[in-house]
Amino acid sequence: MKHYTIAAALASVALLSATAACGSGGSTASGGSSSAPGGGQSSSSGSSAPAGYDPAHAGGTLHLVANAAAGSLDPQVNYTLQYWQLYQASYDGLLAFTKTAGDASFTVVPDLATAMPTVSDGGKTYTFQLHSGIKFSNGQPVTTKDVVASFERIFKVSSPTAGTFYVGIVGATACLAKPATCDLSKGIVADDAANTVTIHLTAADPEFPYKLAVPHASILPADTPGKDMGTTPIPGTGAYYFASDDPNRQLTMKRNPYFKVWSVAAEPQGYPDEIIQTFGLTVEDEVTAVENGQADWVYDPLPADRLGEIGTKYESQAHVNTLTAMFYAPMNVNIAPFNNPKARQAVNWAIDRSAMVKIYGGTNLAAPACTFLPPDFPGHVDFCDYTAGGGATWTAPDLAKAKQLVQESGTAGQTVGVVVQSDDVNKQLGEYLQSVLNQIGYKAVLKPISPNIQFTYIQNTKNKVQISISSWYQDYPAASDFLHVLLSCASFHPGSDTSINISGFCDKPIDTQMDAALTSEQTSMTQANTMWGQVDKAVMAQAPTAPLFTPKLIDFTSSRIKHYEFSKQFYMLVDQLWVK
Amino acid sequence: MTATSTVTTPSALAPARGPWRTALADLARDRTAIASFAILMLIVVVCLLAPVYAHYIAHTDPFQSNVSGTTVVNGKTVPVLAPTTSGLGLGVTPIGPTGDVHHYFLGADSQGRDVMARLLYGGRNSLLIGLSSALICCVAAALLGVIAGYFGGVVDTILNWFFDVIWAFPVYLLAISLSVVLLTNGLRLGPLSVQAGSLWLPILIIAAVYVPYVARPVRGQVLALRGREFIQASIGIGGSDVRILRRDVLPNIAPMVLVFLPLMAAINMLTEAALSFLSVGVQPPAASWGTIINDGLGLLYTRPTVAIAPGLMVVITAVTLNLLGDSVRSALDPKARLRGAA
Amino acid sequence: MTRFALRRLLSTVLVLFAISVVTFLIFFATPGVDPAARIAGRNADPATLAQVRHEFGLDRPLPVRYVLMMDHLLIKHDLTSYVNRGAAVIPQILHAAPVTLSLVIGAAVIWMVFGILIGTVSAATRGTIADPVLMIVGVVGVSVPVYWLGEVVNLITQDKLHSGVFSWVPPLGYVSLTANPVQWALHLLFPWLTLAVLYAGIYARVLRGELLEALNEDYVRTARAKGLSERRVLIAHALRCSLIPIVSLFGLDFGALIGGAALLNEVVFGLPGLGLLTYNSLQNLDLPVIIASVLYAAFFIVLANAVVDVVYAAIDPRVRRA
Repeated sequence: MKHYTIAAALASVALLSATAACGSGGSTASGGSSSAPGGGQSSSSGSSAPAGYDPAHAGGTLHLVANAAAGSLDPQVNYTLQYWQLYQASYDGLLAFTKTAGDASFTVVPDLATAMPTVSDGGKTYTFQLHSGIKFSNGQPVTTKDVVASFERIFKVSSPTAGTFYVGIVGATACLAKPATCDLSKGIVADDAANTVTIHLTAADPEFPYKLAVPHASILPADTPGKDMGTTPIPGTGAYYFASDDPNRQLTMKRNPYFKVWSVAAEPQGYPDEIIQTFGLTVEDEVTAVENGQADWVYDPLPADRLGEIGTKYESQAHVNTLTAMFYAPMNVNIAPFNNPKARQAVNWAIDRSAMVKIYGGTNLAAPACTFLPPDFPGHVDFCDYTAGGGATWTAPDLAKAKQLVQESGTAGQTVGVVVQSDDVNKQLGEYLQSVLNQIGYKAVLKPISPNIQFTYIQNTKNKVQISISSWYQDYPAASDFLHVLLSCASFHPGSDTSINISGFCDKPIDTQMDAALTSEQTSMTQANTMWGQVDKAVMAQAPTAPLFTPKLIDFTSSRIKHYEFSKQFYMLVDQLWVK
Repeated sequence: MTATSTVTTPSALAPARGPWRTALADLARDRTAIASFAILMLIVVVCLLAPVYAHYIAHTDPFQSNVSGTTVVNGKTVPVLAPTTSGLGLGVTPIGPTGDVHHYFLGADSQGRDVMARLLYGGRNSLLIGLSSALICCVAAALLGVIAGYFGGVVDTILNWFFDVIWAFPVYLLAISLSVVLLTNGLRLGPLSVQAGSLWLPILIIAAVYVPYVARPVRGQVLALRGREFIQASIGIGGSDVRILRRDVLPNIAPMVLVFLPLMAAINMLTEAALSFLSVGVQPPAASWGTIINDGLGLLYTRPTVAIAPGLMVVITAVTLNLLGDSVRSALDPKARLRGAA
Repeated sequence: MTRFALRRLLSTVLVLFAISVVTFLIFFATPGVDPAARIAGRNADPATLAQVRHEFGLDRPLPVRYVLMMDHLLIKHDLTSYVNRGAAVIPQILHAAPVTLSLVIGAAVIWMVFGILIGTVSAATRGTIADPVLMIVGVVGVSVPVYWLGEVVNLITQDKLHSGVFSWVPPLGYVSLTANPVQWALHLLFPWLTLAVLYAGIYARVLRGELLEALNEDYVRTARAKGLSERRVLIAHALRCSLIPIVSLFGLDFGALIGGAALLNEVVFGLPGLGLLTYNSLQNLDLPVIIASVLYAAFFIVLANAVVDVVYAAIDPRVRRA
């Protein structure tokens, strides 16, 4: 689900830092002396400008459609891709992910700061020089006071990531306990005369720059009330501001009259004069509206039966993007029948990945998966323990073997509940999985539940979920992002709605192996990745999950839309589309 | 769209004058009734023969996904779900209607299952749900309505209030709310235990929702009866309640409840279809016409047959039930007979 | 009469109370529904989770939570959604009401016109072939699943024939009457027709039955005896009396529809009325909106019932004792 993409991926950042504090945050991190990680372009504004701005295509109204609104509009509260995509053009933090297509979109660049911060004190102190002359959409200038207030506001509004991303700031622990009286004056020191802000952390955090580049760290006017503003728009510094929000009808963004480009990489000028997102249509009707030119882009995943038509009749309007992500079926290793490894292996042997791929939309939209780490991902090694005829990649299921394993495990005939989201694609995947489980000797029952609660429902051990279908999208390329987050003992919390290790898999030897890999990341990434590859093999031998396939993403735009750009971080760059 | 008013209350029925035989004779002369009944029976029989069709004619298992399978069309072997090969090559299209009863007569759904076979099996469930929930609903409603009307007083007040609550609770809301809870948890009421996903859940839910629609007119009828001489006389000579209820009240209530039966069956079938549209009806891989429509909506633009065929079946069945209901009413309602109109 | 009205009022309040309690209990009996984790965001820190739980009063006992919610909804009027945080529930309902009202009023005009027309004509033509044909039309009307009909209508008007005969059909959705009356009507045309099919069928059938009954009554016979034409008898005498039950039926249906009973119709046509609001809140398990919309719907149903009852009681004193 696109819906989960950013949220789930960033949650992984949270877990990495909160549970493991594993040091180097992926491949770009450097020890933390002078320049911060991610700061590929350490020079300031403009120097890394992508393509130039073409005023000839400015103007018009961009009409996006989504089935439903995505909750509070408050950038420090909302945690969905749907709005984070819009925040890219409306709010800024001290740092930002580069607004461009391709791999460069993972690079963090200075935004409201003039340059990447100076890091000192062993990685515990970050000093930012603020741009001067930037104004909010209400005309107020951005000052150091706004920066301090915005960080305090993260805690006052109980931002979802308050306790995971920003708890390392000095004084944050107290803020977490008593949000109303949050005081970060020790942790965030403003020097108004020099126009600098210094952030003090309690411990070095190589991933901190990433956390400053997400919308929860947006800089908002200091006088913004310290409560979730919900549907009331808050002024921002981006090229657009939110003019109105009615979660049952539409969201409107207009050009920020006070906006002047200061960094093309961080906050470029947008093209449409107005961007609206309307709510309420079903996905089928959204597609029809885009085909008829009544709307410009569909937010929701496209329905399977329209894909053929979109790929042929509307070929030029469809944009296929590769993702490093996976769909997988976590099996609960702590209750019957999947507390028996043979039962879990049987499921892996039995599932016809090519059937799953077909249901998802065909071989151009997904590829069969056999390993936990997606292809082209650090640490990924081609191997396939569960394919007919052996081989390093998946070719076909082996039902006979699966049936035999089920018999050997003595679990045949048991009832198995399959918990899936009730939306079309996931329900279809679930129906197929149910059919396979019945074939190999179980009595499978499908339990489709609302997409809104399925993700937390399958995490909680109290719900006794035996097998489910879920998906995971990467945030930045690091093997730990998949293996350590999803399958370590540290991310298993029995009885809690937030226990992302859905299988409840806690294998001491494998956990030790993962810790070793994490440690070695600090010295050699190559060696670490080899170790992660071995972890993958060890995990798949135990089969706590059945990897299903690696999905791709299609954006479907109306015929008038030009200049489509896809950022790996926040997906389609909405404000860069041409409607003229 | 609520069925608030789909049931027209039969106008007050006169006390029974050996009505059953006259009614049957009337029905036997009523061409509409006979035609409707014949069509209904045809549908029932054909649906009951679903296994025969699936095993001996189409050679398919309508509950087993067949995503990677192939079939034969005009002597050529083709995949049941064909990937798009032109353009960007996105998406997969199930095979459309072949017109060949042995191979995907009405085409396949997105799981590669034979729609015709599912339509027949689905009909069994739809009819079963429609008829049995109508039966349960009418029996329960008759019981409650009689109790409320006959005993009156506190019992009547409480039951009436109970009807009011169900009545005012929007039908779909009640059904959806109950379904969400019951479909994940099942139902455990003392010794009675219904598994999540059991067919009994939609049956009981739908029956419960419509109880007031029948119970209220029954209660009114019983109230009216109580005032009549013959019942007052029975009470006067010291007849026991049970005896009076059995000998005097029930025979007078029965025709009315019987009139409701086919009408409620039609409404309940439509409700089942609507609940399936909201994904809270019969659970996969079992099928009902409603769930097939729902599956078919995902294919509406490429393979409209999948949604349209079961929809037509619902319409035809509901029409026959409604016509039958009308005929039963005019047969059992002496006033209608007076009018000499069908 | 006043006592009767007061008793109705008391029972109305009791019914609404029961409905709110039932909805509340069903919600909290649903597994995995605890909104705290969803409000707090994915994988939120335990401290944040606790904070949210406290802020929303989710750590209080159930009865207290119920009272708090009702207080915010009915007294303070500031109850907000669990999902679209900050979106106050009451304005959402007030905003959705005109959409539903537009849908229902338009459809009501259509179904009353067609219902009365079909019912009257078929009563007038009884004995000829027209009567059964018209009645079959009516029966089909009540036998069609509305959402299915809506989807088929969309398939035809928005897709299959959109480039041809139906190119004038606007996209799905709603345009307000004040913004553009023509577009308002165009957007609502097919929803109106689809909704009206069911009710036109019902009303035609009921009216025909009433008319046939009335034609056997004494006052009609008298009128006939006076030598009035059959048409005059039908329209001036029989129809006038037969419309009374129709009007009371209309009151009940209208009340239910205004409350959001046109849920499936709104979902299928993407109309942001109360039905769609209810539907979305159920999909999202957004309790405050569910409670508010259920109460709103129930209120209109109960109100319509009460009005019809009181009017009947005014006409017929015997009802007051029942």
